[in-house]
Amino acid sequence: MRKLLPESWVARGVGLASLITVLLLWEMAARYRLVNPVLVPAPSMIFDTLVAILTSGEFLAPLAHTVLLFLAGYGIACLLGITLGMWMGCSRAAYGLLEPLVELLRPIPKSALVPALFLFLGIGKATMVTVVVFAAVFPVLINTFQGVRGIDPVLLDTARTFQCSRWRTVMQVILPASLPSIFAGMKVGLSLGVVLVVLAEMLAGENGLGFVILDSQRAFQVREMYAWVVILAALGASLSLAFDKIEQRAVPWRGN
Amino acid sequence: MNSQRRTWIKRGLAALGAAAFATALALPQQTMAADLQKVRVSIIPINDVTPLFAAMKQGYFAEEGLEIDTTPSAGGATGIPGLIAGSFDIVYGNVVSMLLAAQQGIDIRVAAPGTKIDTPEFDMSAMVVRADSGIKTGRDLEGKSVGVNTRNNVIWLYARAWIKATGGDPDRVTYREVPHPQMEDALRQKQVDAGYMVIPYVAIATQKPEFQAIAHPYSKVQLGVDVGQYLTTAKFLSDKPETVTKFVRALRRGIEWYNANRGTDDLLKIVSGFTRLDVEVLRKVKMSPAPLKVDPPQIETTMKLMIEHRLLRGPIDVKPLIAAQAL
Amino acid sequence: MSNAANDSLTGNALRPHAATAWGRLAARMQATPRLSGFVLVAALLCLWEASARLGWVNSQNWPPVSLVLVAVAQGIASGELASLLLSTLRRMASGYVLGCGIGVALGLLLGTNRWLRYVLKPIIEVIRPIPAPAIVPPLILFLGVDDALKIFVVSLACFFPAFLNTLAGVETIDDVLLQTARTFRVGARRTLFQVVFPATLPMIAAGLRVATGIALVVTVISEMIAGSSGIGYYIIQMQYAMKPEAMYAAVLLLAVTGYLVNRVFLVVEQRFIPWLGK
Repeated sequence: MRKLLPESWVARGVGLASLITVLLLWEMAARYRLVNPVLVPAPSMIFDTLVAILTSGEFLAPLAHTVLLFLAGYGIACLLGITLGMWMGCSRAAYGLLEPLVELLRPIPKSALVPALFLFLGIGKATMVTVVVFAAVFPVLINTFQGVRGIDPVLLDTARTFQCSRWRTVMQVILPASLPSIFAGMKVGLSLGVVLVVLAEMLAGENGLGFVILDSQRAFQVREMYAWVVILAALGASLSLAFDKIEQRAVPWRGN
Repeated sequence: MNSQRRTWIKRGLAALGAAAFATALALPQQTMAADLQKVRVSIIPINDVTPLFAAMKQGYFAEEGLEIDTTPSAGGATGIPGLIAGSFDIVYGNVVSMLLAAQQGIDIRVAAPGTKIDTPEFDMSAMVVRADSGIKTGRDLEGKSVGVNTRNNVIWLYARAWIKATGGDPDRVTYREVPHPQMEDALRQKQVDAGYMVIPYVAIATQKPEFQAIAHPYSKVQLGVDVGQYLTTAKFLSDKPETVTKFVRALRRGIEWYNANRGTDDLLKIVSGFTRLDVEVLRKVKMSPAPLKVDPPQIETTMKLMIEHRLLRGPIDVKPLIAAQAL
Repeated sequence: MSNAANDSLTGNALRPHAATAWGRLAARMQATPRLSGFVLVAALLCLWEASARLGWVNSQNWPPVSLVLVAVAQGIASGELASLLLSTLRRMASGYVLGCGIGVALGLLLGTNRWLRYVLKPIIEVIRPIPAPAIVPPLILFLGVDDALKIFVVSLACFFPAFLNTLAGVETIDDVLLQTARTFRVGARRTLFQVVFPATLPMIAAGLRVATGIALVVTVISEMIAGSSGIGYYIIQMQYAMKPEAMYAAVLLLAVTGYLVNRVFLVVEQRFIPWLGK
């Protein structure tokens, strides 16, 4: 282990150097007009704009909009997906009832549903949350289902032998045993959910990071556009980081 | 078995590589027609670009040695970005987008006239409300919401200007983005209290007793407004001035044909062809005459309006933006 | 069906039903488990039809499902939907092959060469969290709205799962395997192709499967935002042309396509990686 420590420092050093090199090359290209600086502003200019957006607090409203929409949609999707997935995994009748509907809805590219959803729910938050739910629910549901199906029958027999109640079996045997699979599904759902929340904000045009990116592109404010993309990327990275931390807590036995 | 597996893998990898290579080769390469010069034009599938299609149909462009390759952009959001990236030579765009691009230092030029509202009679686009809402003026809209197709753009600007002109404070109104085709639903379901509707949707909505057009912001705010133009880049204009000249010449003939044939079945068929709208729907639409020239003072008026509503930071010199061919 | 009891995992075995007609139907539904599901789908479709026919939903944009099916038939008969779908699939396939090809290749390279990994991984990690729709507006300014843009966006979206899974796959390879290769003085290239690649294949397959799911969604998104062609644009165009039945027809077709793409992938996967066996 001790030997690896300097190695990881080397890795970080080289990585940092390579990132800085890329940024420097970009900066030079923009400065010396190898690329059109109107379309590709230098990183330093984007950074200035980013700092201005961050210090003025201008980023708060769009960021909050995106985060809240995402969390609402993703939360509902996870609850719904896990519940339905467990139900379908445990009950044959539920499986029969829902499987055709799931198979029918699952392959629809969710972006194509946005116009139809606008109609039912209006152009607003409800629609956008629904879009996110639609995007994220299927990976969660299917992975939950597969996780439940993949449980070692011995485990269930044991539960039966100990005369565990149905509820206890579900909560204390089936749920923990399928947790790794559920988290795998939630991870896929997370990235799909983020994609769709951004798309929904672009199409519904109320607020949020998706909207401001598109809005600054329409106004040809290229620096602002890149700055907002950076903020969105930071959000995406933090979400996936937070997810990994939660997963490590929730499924410690899975190891790394 | 093992060696067989390996061959499969090798073949798979080879196929993967070959496919990737083939794809790279297949990326867009514009081929030039031997005799006709190709001009790539981005259009919005609305009535405004009918003269262009009329000129194509009548062969006016071919007579100039041009072949027009049109690409539709619903809502027009990708026109100017595509122009900047070099996907198009000429794009149909609205005056506000053009001025916004110019302000950001993009070398955009007005190449040819597009749409102008100079008679109230032909200004169909309207502020539409529910008939029972009692909303009549901009003042009534304070604290309420207005649907526009795109915020911070031309429809939004004239909605605000109209609200101000009729005694309201445009900053006390909420603007919601609603795509044109869904404006009627949004109004009916009370997601918005008013909607700035355009052709042909406005014609269909206002036929129903539940909706009512209360104003026509373009003609009310700025009669004569030059709403849209054909745009190009300064580079294309200086590299190929002849092409632009030929384009405008053929387009003008198309405009004349269009103005002479408005409302005829021949023309409706052309419109239906590129908008995909049914001819029956189009019969409900009054088609505004198209201008032969760009009107710089009107563009300046729009520019001042944009400054007033904080879309522009300061004045822009409009004259240099307009190609000689467009005048 | 010996696993009938196992199908209801919590141990609620099939209950006998009364010999009424309803009971028989219920029993039949249990015997052919999906029947109830098809009934549910049919009921929802009937609800759709009724809501449009009887004016429960009052809107231009809500056609009855029967008209949508007619539009599907018309679109297929005229060949329009097929050609649109083909152009979408062509873009999807190009982007998929490019993205996955580069992803797998880089994954293998970075997995076996740590210096390359140190240099390139951080750059990839910086780009990764940007959601696909957000890169379209900046990219339009470079690549325009032609196929180049759409193919690029799709390949970028497919690249990450392919790359990350391949890399993770290489990292989990048993060291003994590599040491054996070294002992037998197998060259670096042969090691890569004959040891590393086969051992990583299941993980690569997993990455490709994720990419398959993403590819069509992203193709449609890029066609919607950048417009001008393909079935994604057609959906928007029909919405603007006030032909909602044609729009829903395209959505329906996309659903079928998504399903088929997934099937084809599974078949190909089983053909190429038979030892993955399920």
